Amino acid sequence: MAKASKRYALVIDSRKCLNCKACVVACRAENNVPLEFSRNWLNVELRGEYPRLLAISEPEQCHHCADPACVRVCPTGASFQRADGIVAINATECVGCRYCMIACPYNARFFRQDIGVVEKCDLCRKRVDRGEVPACVETCPSKVRVFGDINNPDSQVSQLLSRRQYRVKKPEAGTSPQIYYLL
Amino acid sequence: MDRRKFLRFTAGGTVGAAAVSAVYMAPFHKEPQKGPQRVEIPTTCEMCVNKCSVIAVVENGIIHKLNPNPANPRSRSMVCARGNAGLQQVYDPARLKRPLIRAGARGEGKWKPATWDEAFDFAAQKLTAIKEKYGPQATIWSSTESFQETFFKSLGLAFGSPNVERHPTLCLASVNLAYSLTFGTVPAFDLANAKYIIMSGANRLESFITPDTMDLIESAMEKKARLVYLDPRFTVTASKADEWYPIKPGTDAAFILAMINVITAENRYDKEFVSTYTVGFEQLAEYVKPFTPEWAEVETEIKAKDIVRIAREFSDAAPRAVYYAGRRSSWYRDDFQMRRAQAILNAIVGSWDRQGGMVPNQKIALGEVSYLPWDDPTAPRIEDMDKNFPLAAKGDGAYLKMRENVLAGVPYPVKGWMVHKQDPMNALPEQAKTLRVIDQMDFIGVIDVQMSDTAWYADVIFPESTYLERQDPVEVLSGMVPVVVYRQAAIKPLHDTKTTLEISQGLAKRLNLSQYFDYTIDQWIDAEVKELPLEAPLDYLKKHGVWVPPGGPKYGSTLTLEHRFITKSGKIELYSERLQEAGYDPLPKYTTPLQPPSGQYRLILGRRAYFTQANTTNNPWLNQFCPDNQLWIHPNSARDAGIADSELVEVASTVGAVKLKAHVTQEIRPDCVFMLHGYGKKSKWQRLVAGKGGADAEILETAWDKVSGGGAFHETFVKVRKA
Repeated sequence: MAKASKRYALVIDSRKCLNCKACVVACRAENNVPLEFSRNWLNVELRGEYPRLLAISEPEQCHHCADPACVRVCPTGASFQRADGIVAINATECVGCRYCMIACPYNARFFRQDIGVVEKCDLCRKRVDRGEVPACVETCPSKVRVFGDINNPDSQVSQLLSRRQYRVKKPEAGTSPQIYYLL
Repeated sequence: MDRRKFLRFTAGGTVGAAAVSAVYMAPFHKEPQKGPQRVEIPTTCEMCVNKCSVIAVVENGIIHKLNPNPANPRSRSMVCARGNAGLQQVYDPARLKRPLIRAGARGEGKWKPATWDEAFDFAAQKLTAIKEKYGPQATIWSSTESFQETFFKSLGLAFGSPNVERHPTLCLASVNLAYSLTFGTVPAFDLANAKYIIMSGANRLESFITPDTMDLIESAMEKKARLVYLDPRFTVTASKADEWYPIKPGTDAAFILAMINVITAENRYDKEFVSTYTVGFEQLAEYVKPFTPEWAEVETEIKAKDIVRIAREFSDAAPRAVYYAGRRSSWYRDDFQMRRAQAILNAIVGSWDRQGGMVPNQKIALGEVSYLPWDDPTAPRIEDMDKNFPLAAKGDGAYLKMRENVLAGVPYPVKGWMVHKQDPMNALPEQAKTLRVIDQMDFIGVIDVQMSDTAWYADVIFPESTYLERQDPVEVLSGMVPVVVYRQAAIKPLHDTKTTLEISQGLAKRLNLSQYFDYTIDQWIDAEVKELPLEAPLDYLKKHGVWVPPGGPKYGSTLTLEHRFITKSGKIELYSERLQEAGYDPLPKYTTPLQPPSGQYRLILGRRAYFTQANTTNNPWLNQFCPDNQLWIHPNSARDAGIADSELVEVASTVGAVKLKAHVTQEIRPDCVFMLHGYGKKSKWQRLVAGKGGADAEILETAWDKVSGGGAFHETFVKVRKA
């Protein structure tokens, strides 16, 4: 497997987001996320004054940073980064200390009291390992998220990033986040 | 986390009297069922009316996930929030799990579990008693769209009732009738190829309809088309449109007539098309002369110069220009007129049967199992369609007129009500009237998967297996690209439930009507698919879930001199003699709508992408996005009414009052208020929405469009005050 050369990322075109919540429910189903938590979410904002209004809806989840603070602070190695860039948690090694939750600049993690571990988006790594895309990416009516390998110049994510302007959130945190928001 | 934990999590909440709890709290299958580790079963969603193709991922006998099946060119690789939440319908602890017979007063919520034999015997005895005393016409058979609806309808008709009451008059009857009378058919809209799209309130980016929503996403988001959107509310579609006009409610026809005025006055219509394929252009051109853009500005509050510009841009883009028809067109008393005006506007610019315009739907022929035909019911429908709605679809009925006549006992008494997956308690306005109908019934039987508000008042409840637990007839979705979809069971029924065919057969047997139901679901499906040009059609559908005939969209099949449109003249009717003969206006009549008096607001309705009418608000995975509905009100209006955001308010009309929280927002016209549908439920089994928020059905007044009989749900003015 040539996995080592891969670096998965998400490119998000929020302009296309309908705030329809399909991604949130798809993630809940795929990852059995309890109702009080969510591994992904939508930042919704309304600007302006009637009738000059602008609605913004922006999906967010773990940024799968290239230099993940959560992994750095984890005392047990439960939080880890795969060779392909996916940041994940090994539940059996998580002691529930929650340092990672404090370290994460994006508030992407939550602590499950019932099983004593921290959880978050792992880009549906089981699906990815089967050659599928994450559930949130697949289910979306307007295909707001594009998932792919940014080390492959022919991938759709690379193509989008080469053609379009983009930003990342909180670059000052220095974690090199891998969700690219198209402008 | 494994599935068991997920199931444990979903099993929560207790409500109701002891008798309820006994049934409600009965444990459901927590242990994994026997089955292979992982299988993928293509099937068809039933969380709304779209019938999207999904792939059920079943692990150890439990449905893990519903993934999109991209083989369906309508739904493509999309499963919406509701589709994903379909799992909750199956694993809902408050599902209907076995037949129930009412044990207390109606609406008291006391039930005794029954066997199927007991439930069938009980219902058959009641129905037979009504038939003997009042005749078979004394029963209403409320039916809604589902793949097994045909069996329920057949039972009602075989029983001898003319009153099979379907949903269109609560939904799209006016649009269907307007396009049928103009073009002889209801076309599809080629939004994928249109360059200019105008929508009145059809909130397609929240109220999903496939493939239109998918096409509009592509057209609007990739800037392939210009989208002009008219709606008193700032919906998601408004937010993505190139231009949004918060039009004065009920004046859309004025906007359209002014567009026709500009297009005819400036000779911008498609002359060749109009002269070859239409009748009545001269009358139309003369008729629209008074409807100037300046006149329409006063009516609509859209500037005359914008109307002129939009009319010009629209005609320049034609035939790749459409005024989109919309779906739920049950807004105003003259909805039919507005829809006719749309159809006529589209016709005169030649946006018919051409790429980017309106396109007649293609169908696929299926075979039919042969069964004994029953005698047609001898009594007329209770609404007297011939007299009241002579041009409307007679087989569908007219819901609100039906209710009036049932209450009046005219022309005959009605004493029995069978309901298949409808929820008239929420689907009809003026709930107090629906309760009066319930009161006068000797018998009410409901088939459903959940304890709807209507089921809550039933005498017997027949629990249906959910769509993921049953095999359904094969269905054709007609469209520009028609498809055949198939629903096969992903898992065996978890509970003591049956399909609607089995329920219909169980009742038929006891009503001595078995001879009309002498087939199995397998025989039915075999007969259907035999006609498909496939070697082993059922095997194909089992494997793929969907079959798409080769060929893709076809344009121009009606644009030949030989083609006869299914209208009186055989042409597209701008001027309709048929309407005139039936006593209606041959050209779309505009009536300036009444506006709410000072201190009152027009109540308008609409959708969110995660709810289907009133029936998914209790789904925990969807309810979390909106635990209770709120009254949208503009800040200026809120100030006038002395209410603050999140404050509890009373919303009152002439027929009722409800209490809910205010959502003070810029997203609505100051003269309108808005609330989501499906809250303030009566059924305690709808635990997340029982008594939470307000039910629009309690305050909506009864009104209908007089041509189609379609409900007029935006005609209610309400007072709002601090509760």
